[in-house]
Amino acid sequence: MSARTTRQYIRRAQRPDGSGRSIQIAQRAAGSVEDALRGAATPLAKYGFPYRKPSAPKSVVVPRRPSELGDAYETEWARRPFARAVRGAIIDGPMRLAVRVVASPTVSGLDRLTDLLRTEKGAAPAPVIFAPNHHSHIDTGVMIRSIPAPWRTELVVAAAADYFFDAKWKASLSALALNAIPIDRDATSRATFDRLRDVIADGNSLIIYPEGGRSPDGWGQDFKGGAAYLSMRTGAPIIPVHLDGTGEIFGKGAKKLSPGRTTVLFGTPLTAGDGENTRRFNERIEAAVGRLGDETLTDWWTASLNAGTGRSPKLSGPDANGWRRQWSLGEKRRLSTAGIRRRRARRWPDLG
Amino acid sequence: MPRPGFVLDVDRSTPPTLFWRGEGFSLERLPADRSRIIYPPEPQKGLDNLDAHIRDALLNPLDMDPLPELLTPGMKLTICFDDASLSLPKMQRPDNRQRIIEAVLDMAAEKGVDDVHIIAALGLHRRMHEYELRHVLGDRIVDAFMPKGFLYQHDAEDPDNLAVIGHTDEGEILEINKRAADSDLVVYANVNQVAMDGGWKSLTTGLASYKCLSVHHNPESLQNTRSLMDRHHSALHKSIWRMGKLLRDSGPKVFQVETTINTEAFPSNFSFLAKREWEWTAKDRALFLASSKGLNKLPNRTKRKIFHSIEAPYRTTSVQAGFTESVHEKTLENVYSQHLVEVEGQTDILTMGIPFISPYNPESIMNPILVMCMGLGYLFNMYRGKPLVKEGGVVIMTHPTYEEFHPVHHPSYIDFFDEVLADTTDPAVMSTKWEKKYAEDEWYRHLYRTSYAYHGVHPFYAWYWGAHGQQHAGKVIIVGGYAPAVRKLGFTPASTMNDALEIASDTVGRSPTISHLHVPGVLVADVK
Amino acid sequence: MKALQIKRNVAKFGAARILGAVSPSGSTKIGPLEHRTIDDPECPGDGWHRVRTRLAGICGSDLSLVGGHASTYFDDWVSFPFVPGHEVVGELTDGESAGTRVVLEPVLGHAARGIELPFDGASPADGDDYAHLAVTSAQGVEPAIQTGFCCSTGGGWAPWFWAHESQLHRIDDEMPDERAVLVEPFAGGIHAALLAAPALSGVDEPVVAVLGAGTMGLAAVAGLRRYVPGVRIIVGARYPHQRALAEALGADVAVAASGLDRAVRREVACHMIGNGESGALSSGAHVTIDAVGSSASIADCLRFTRPRGRIVLLGMPSRVDLDMTGLWHREIELKGAYTYGTETLHDGTSTTTFQLAIDTVNAVEAERLLSATYLLDDHVDAIGHAANAGRRGAVKIAFDLRDSA
Repeated sequence: MSARTTRQYIRRAQRPDGSGRSIQIAQRAAGSVEDALRGAATPLAKYGFPYRKPSAPKSVVVPRRPSELGDAYETEWARRPFARAVRGAIIDGPMRLAVRVVASPTVSGLDRLTDLLRTEKGAAPAPVIFAPNHHSHIDTGVMIRSIPAPWRTELVVAAAADYFFDAKWKASLSALALNAIPIDRDATSRATFDRLRDVIADGNSLIIYPEGGRSPDGWGQDFKGGAAYLSMRTGAPIIPVHLDGTGEIFGKGAKKLSPGRTTVLFGTPLTAGDGENTRRFNERIEAAVGRLGDETLTDWWTASLNAGTGRSPKLSGPDANGWRRQWSLGEKRRLSTAGIRRRRARRWPDLG
Repeated sequence: MPRPGFVLDVDRSTPPTLFWRGEGFSLERLPADRSRIIYPPEPQKGLDNLDAHIRDALLNPLDMDPLPELLTPGMKLTICFDDASLSLPKMQRPDNRQRIIEAVLDMAAEKGVDDVHIIAALGLHRRMHEYELRHVLGDRIVDAFMPKGFLYQHDAEDPDNLAVIGHTDEGEILEINKRAADSDLVVYANVNQVAMDGGWKSLTTGLASYKCLSVHHNPESLQNTRSLMDRHHSALHKSIWRMGKLLRDSGPKVFQVETTINTEAFPSNFSFLAKREWEWTAKDRALFLASSKGLNKLPNRTKRKIFHSIEAPYRTTSVQAGFTESVHEKTLENVYSQHLVEVEGQTDILTMGIPFISPYNPESIMNPILVMCMGLGYLFNMYRGKPLVKEGGVVIMTHPTYEEFHPVHHPSYIDFFDEVLADTTDPAVMSTKWEKKYAEDEWYRHLYRTSYAYHGVHPFYAWYWGAHGQQHAGKVIIVGGYAPAVRKLGFTPASTMNDALEIASDTVGRSPTISHLHVPGVLVADVK
Repeated sequence: MKALQIKRNVAKFGAARILGAVSPSGSTKIGPLEHRTIDDPECPGDGWHRVRTRLAGICGSDLSLVGGHASTYFDDWVSFPFVPGHEVVGELTDGESAGTRVVLEPVLGHAARGIELPFDGASPADGDDYAHLAVTSAQGVEPAIQTGFCCSTGGGWAPWFWAHESQLHRIDDEMPDERAVLVEPFAGGIHAALLAAPALSGVDEPVVAVLGAGTMGLAAVAGLRRYVPGVRIIVGARYPHQRALAEALGADVAVAASGLDRAVRREVACHMIGNGESGALSSGAHVTIDAVGSSASIADCLRFTRPRGRIVLLGMPSRVDLDMTGLWHREIELKGAYTYGTETLHDGTSTTTFQLAIDTVNAVEAERLLSATYLLDDHVDAIGHAANAGRRGAVKIAFDLRDSA
């Protein structure tokens, strides 16, 4: 984290026109429901164990059941035929509709992938690793819909174990709808890597966000080496992808969806060169995505010139902190498709 | 890695504790800060590829020549095996005895042994039904040997088929099955569930006559058996070992095969039984509630049907073969490693839940005498060193103690309950006054020999089994027991655990210390 | 880092409160408290230290928050989302002082916000203008009464948090963590005990009744015994182990809570007017310390506190439904006791409550009040244990983070 947002002297909730009353009303309502329920539930109080969970005696250590969530969640079931069929229906039905309505993506750069897609008749294309930048939860939906169909059916998404797999329902839903696989973004564990490698070896392609999380402020973050390492170990090429506009639609911390336009730009597949180490390869991937970002805002030739002379704008934005960082973000937004966001009706303040 | 057993000090956070109540269970809250619960060790890991281990044990026996070298064509080979009283509940097929006997028969066939008899060593227990034989021995053995009469059950009342081996130094007679006595080699196939079983006891009781058994199955020696689970402090076992010495010196050659099993007694739908209460998952709790609520609604008959149909997923933890004494030492070591829990000192009260089964009612009814036998005979004796309860303390059991008897299996039990217990509950008195009458009753003898009844004297033995506990405890209370039956046993009925503790306070004061034996899962408390 | 965090989620607060009526553990599970990976808080500025948590206690106010019962009064005095935990013993991590163990004085006072102290040597909680708690400067920490209610500093239910120099009390090596974690609650109890003192000055044989003997009530008993000389302490507590501890900490009489009125009457030899719950003593205890803080407990205190006596409210009362006639008629003073600060003792010396608390926990070996510790992962069990502490024979429950470096 770099930039610190400045605070207002008095927070909105504390101002007389703030919405602080809602919590008071809610609490009063909850209180009355609670009182009523408590009365009704009094007879239940005598039902202790075994109707309720037992408490443990003080002198014993309750063995810790290994967690089946988070990093350890087993997603194998989501790649069985039935789950795939359900997922196919979700992706081609509701997801397709939602992505079109919310994000209206313009996809380009697919011609760069034709060589990889050209296979023996009927054979599935070799697995690849998509490495897009990450601004929003909707990124994954947009990616899945933008990726060419031959890969889409065998697509796995690396998702943060601590966010998407921290509760049973979230984990099942992520695994079913997105074919997500938990990845520990803090410490890259051996198990996580092995799992991803096996999945790729089984012929699945992978979406992995090298930034490790959504952008906190609209600018990108430094790429982590996981994607590069995985590509070097499995031989699957990296396809750099730049997503633009998703952060404006539903960025980190956003409460509301503001539908708009997005651009998805696929880059030239990359493989590690001879003698190239993970760090170097990772930098190359980061540069490639950055250049695609430049290309999205300007044009291919300008981006190429910038790249050639080392003037490509960095994905992670200016080094400056504070207002200058936000200011240059505005500049970037002005150029991007997000600028042509659908206008929303202007809401006038309620003068009560 | 199975966790060892341990002693839990009950505090206010301790959930209520599981008690057996016959064909059902209950959860009882024991008083905090002065109660302790003794939890058995978790089941040990079983042997993979048991058949190979059995073969290995037969080929590398302890202090004896390998089995094939003992086998010669034209020899008389007798194979004996433990009856249906082991294991409890019955183990899933194939039974260890089937595995052992098949391995022995394979070797015998290779060596061309023709004269092979297979005898169920059931002592004075009831004869096994054919389906039980099939369960224990498997269809191959039964089909090959039974029709020709080479597979049969020991008969302790057949004068033509008993032979006296001799008398011990103390004048005890050893009289066993004649075929075994005349054999060139006796192979004994054993399943060892508790430390009481096995060793010389297998042969000298399983194949003995009433006359021979009554030498040590009497009140005097059982009152001096401290405890049944500790061979070295048991008058019963000392007598048996003297007979063993005699058997070794002047009897047939005995090749003992013993197997030890772990404590995995219940299949997964009763998995909560073996778990510690605070580790019960939502599923365990739901299973407990469903089964205990459901069972409460069923008639006893149906409940028994359900419970006696349980087949235990026991795993075998060791196999040893060879000279009986060497084998048994090793067996005991393995049994104790599964069962022993170290316990510090005695308490004023011992509580225990009495299950639906005892060694004397497989496929049968747990009648009041067996409740006494199970509580004071078996569970009370689950100690080494000194009893869990202080002398003069209180034993509290939970069991419905219904007055029901199996008419085929337990005919003499019914009369014992009506006639003998109405007169006395003192083992010494009943042994002099009544035992002979029951032992020599022609009708009981007939049922024992031809039907499936326990011997006429067996209820006395069951009662003597609890003699030490009866003598040691100042008071015995049965929670939830049918009052008239409980009183007839000489015990005190109580409707709830709190009532029982209240009644106990007359004997042990207002704030007694309490030990609870957490069953199922067998344990032997090593009381320091 | 993975920490327990409370978000300002109206639905979760409501749901926790409603479900709490039926299933307390379910209420914790769906409630506003969640164990999740949170963004590491940034250093709020100069004079702030990164403190690695060793033990962090669970306080009654934390329980009411987790259960959705907290008063909306504090809505504007806290900043969501925050990591709870203000009873903390930890160790410094940076520089040469790394490894030094400290006890946290949680109030985010003037010094922590870079504002001039109300007087020289003031403790964080001193002063009679709370503006600095609720508003914040451009670079300061967010509004919050204490660490443990503040989104900028983090709190004790996390592997580490930020604490200002003014909040830290370094402790000796001899003091075990288990004792040190009780310093903060003891400071609260001692503060309440010292608030009783002014109402006792000049009284012969003063009698103080303490209602409730959880951690705070017991701490108040210890404080009364040590710092208010000559007082007779009558404790009403619900559970036997609480009564035993109260007597061990210096109570003269410990009785069941329901019998406290009669115990006080015996002590001061007065009349009892009326019967049972409507009965009031003609006289009563000079001061009553209410360490429960419910409608019923305050109503009880009004019955057996002497006319023109004082009730010190130590337990957080939240919303109560109360007949105040007794207060009016007996001209009783109702005195709140929130935290701690600078205290003046009977002999005129002046010191901080925390220093007194550190002395007291050492003197009474307060670690005996810590009944159980849990890992953050097991927070549902921990909260359940703390909420049922009395019934389960416990006093203080804490999180143990010593292994989660």
